[in-house]
Amino acid sequence: MEYKGKKKKAPVKKEVEVLGETFEKGRPEGEELGGWRQKLESREEKLRYLQTGERYWFDKDWYGSERRKNPA
Amino acid sequence: MAEAETKSIDSASVKMIEKAVRDGVNTAFDRAETMKPCPIGMVGSCCKHCGMGPCRVPLPKGREETPEEKQKRRGLCGATAETIAARNFIRMVAGGAAAHSDHGRGVAELFLAVAKGEAPGYEIKDEQKLLQVALDWGVEIGDRSNQEIAIDIGEIALSEFGKQEGGVLFLRRAPLKRQELWQREGVAPRGIDREIVEIMHRTHIGVDQDYRNLLKQGVRAAIADGWGGSMIATELQDILFGTPAPVLGRINLGVLKRDEVNLIIHGHEPLLSEMIVVAAQEPQMLELAKSKGANGINLAGMCCTANEILMRHGVPLAGNFLQQELALVTGAVDVMVVDIQCIMQSLTTVAECYHTKIITTAAKAKIPGAIHIEFDEHNAMESARAIVKTAIENFPNRGKNIDIPEEQTDLVAGFSHETINYLLGGIFRASYRPLNDNIINGRIRGVAGVVGCNNARVKHNENHVAMVKELIKNDVVVLQTGCSAIACAEAGLMTPEAAAKYAGEGLASVCEAVGIPPVLHLGSCVDNSRILMAATAMVKDGGLGDDISELPVAGAGPEWMSEKAISIGQYFVGSGVFTVFGVNWPTLGSNEVTEFLFKDFEAIYGGMWAFEPDPIKAAHLMIDHIDKKRKALGIDKARERVLYDMAMRRELT
Repeated sequence: MEYKGKKKKAPVKKEVEVLGETFEKGRPEGEELGGWRQKLESREEKLRYLQTGERYWFDKDWYGSERRKNPA
Repeated sequence: MAEAETKSIDSASVKMIEKAVRDGVNTAFDRAETMKPCPIGMVGSCCKHCGMGPCRVPLPKGREETPEEKQKRRGLCGATAETIAARNFIRMVAGGAAAHSDHGRGVAELFLAVAKGEAPGYEIKDEQKLLQVALDWGVEIGDRSNQEIAIDIGEIALSEFGKQEGGVLFLRRAPLKRQELWQREGVAPRGIDREIVEIMHRTHIGVDQDYRNLLKQGVRAAIADGWGGSMIATELQDILFGTPAPVLGRINLGVLKRDEVNLIIHGHEPLLSEMIVVAAQEPQMLELAKSKGANGINLAGMCCTANEILMRHGVPLAGNFLQQELALVTGAVDVMVVDIQCIMQSLTTVAECYHTKIITTAAKAKIPGAIHIEFDEHNAMESARAIVKTAIENFPNRGKNIDIPEEQTDLVAGFSHETINYLLGGIFRASYRPLNDNIINGRIRGVAGVVGCNNARVKHNENHVAMVKELIKNDVVVLQTGCSAIACAEAGLMTPEAAAKYAGEGLASVCEAVGIPPVLHLGSCVDNSRILMAATAMVKDGGLGDDISELPVAGAGPEWMSEKAISIGQYFVGSGVFTVFGVNWPTLGSNEVTEFLFKDFEAIYGGMWAFEPDPIKAAHLMIDHIDKKRKALGIDKARERVLYDMAMRRELT
């Protein structure tokens, strides 16, 4: 991401450059609105996400209610 | 109060009910007045499974029946009132499971055709979900192309329906404890079709005559629906059309436009409607519309097809089941195209009073008086274009008797299980942990799935909205599908702002932090499988027990009417969820059967049914159940937090 600078008045110095907004401006439209799955591009990324995001089903190292490290 | 106002809480619907009266149009609201339900059939005490009947075995009115009377309360074949009620009930399950699952089969057939390159216009849009299902079903991924993987998935999906042994594959997604319970109780389905067929066999005269055994098969077939046919439909639709993500939409009859061609897509399958969405945007169609004096083509949805195209494209939603006739009463609908399920035959009669053309598209769902343009997956785009063209050419035929209500509401839809998981943790750490933590700390009291139909025997949308408002006021986050979701969206409950207005303080604070509404739209009625996945993720994340039956959750169908709703309720219950239905209850003719479903089921399956027509009382039954589960988990009281200093720590050792 490219950071944008923003000039502001400061009490001692006349003007300082500060970090500008880091969010995307405006409201996404159409099918992109709320879309997040397109952030995962390659098959490797998608498989990795399945292991982490959907770890309840797809990660062998996941210890949830059903796979405890130290069984109760 | 004007008479129409007693029939719906939705002002747009009230206006159209009044207009229908003025126009001399007969609607479901009129028929509900003139034709009362059969009191014997309504409670499951009528058997018409053979030519010796129908046999009616009603309970005596207003008093306890004597043992002698009970002994005599039988059909000609000797079947007791218990057998008759249980038979009727599980035939409803079979009808519902068949509807959802045949929908799933239709999607699987299209899916395989797409994978083989035999369905032009369709493509695999969600590789992520393709890989997910491949991992679920043990399909090799490696360096294979999406098409190769999809062919394997399509063939496995189709074989799930006709399978005789081995079990439905998606059962493996359920919590391990639940899978063990299903195996132990003998209700793990062997295949989808087999369990439905077996219900039809067992309920034939002279076969299964033990109500407990009949109801057990009902659970088995319902699980084959929820964790089988419906889940296959949801997952394959996601692969073909994309997994839903939050999308802003608008809802209610006010989405119809006076100056544009109005084409309503109604039914349940998104297969053809996805193509209609594309065809309606083609430049030549827009030009044709302009040449006919229209300013554009306005697509709108109705019922669950609407939920599908809303979630994936933001196509506005005109209404739910009881609004289908009312949409035509506006006089502004040029074409209503229908596929399968919940389509009133009276549409063609209502359409005759205006200029509207009704188009059927499914070989298995035709209506006399409608135009039939059959959906052909090998040539879907041509079918879609023919439909859009019919609508455009009908635009100049509109009469002057047009009245489009102004009402339309914003909503945010598209909360698939995957998106909820993402919203709670992002790509870096998608997780149900924040939900579980907030349930444990008490900001969220529990989770409710409120789903199902409209029913003309009760005031349109009233039960849904009253129940859901009561639940969120008491910090219960609500997941919704189908016509229930549409009702609450029309009431403005599906925007993030609704949290501050209607939700309890704890739930509102969580909704504000995550940026979600207190009532989440998860899709169409086959998408109740998404609710099963969300519940399973809650279990697997930990801290709330080892099974769905231990979660502080509950389900409801406050305005149910279809057999599909009974099947959904039965698989909620069979998955361990306490589920309450309103309106009427189809086994009240047998106290034993009703008692078995309402009480004994809990000891067997961890979930049980309840019946309560008052939506507020029903909401409190759900809240009481949630509190019972919270107590069992030991999270019913806020625990005192003590910061240990070093001395205190040393004392511990």
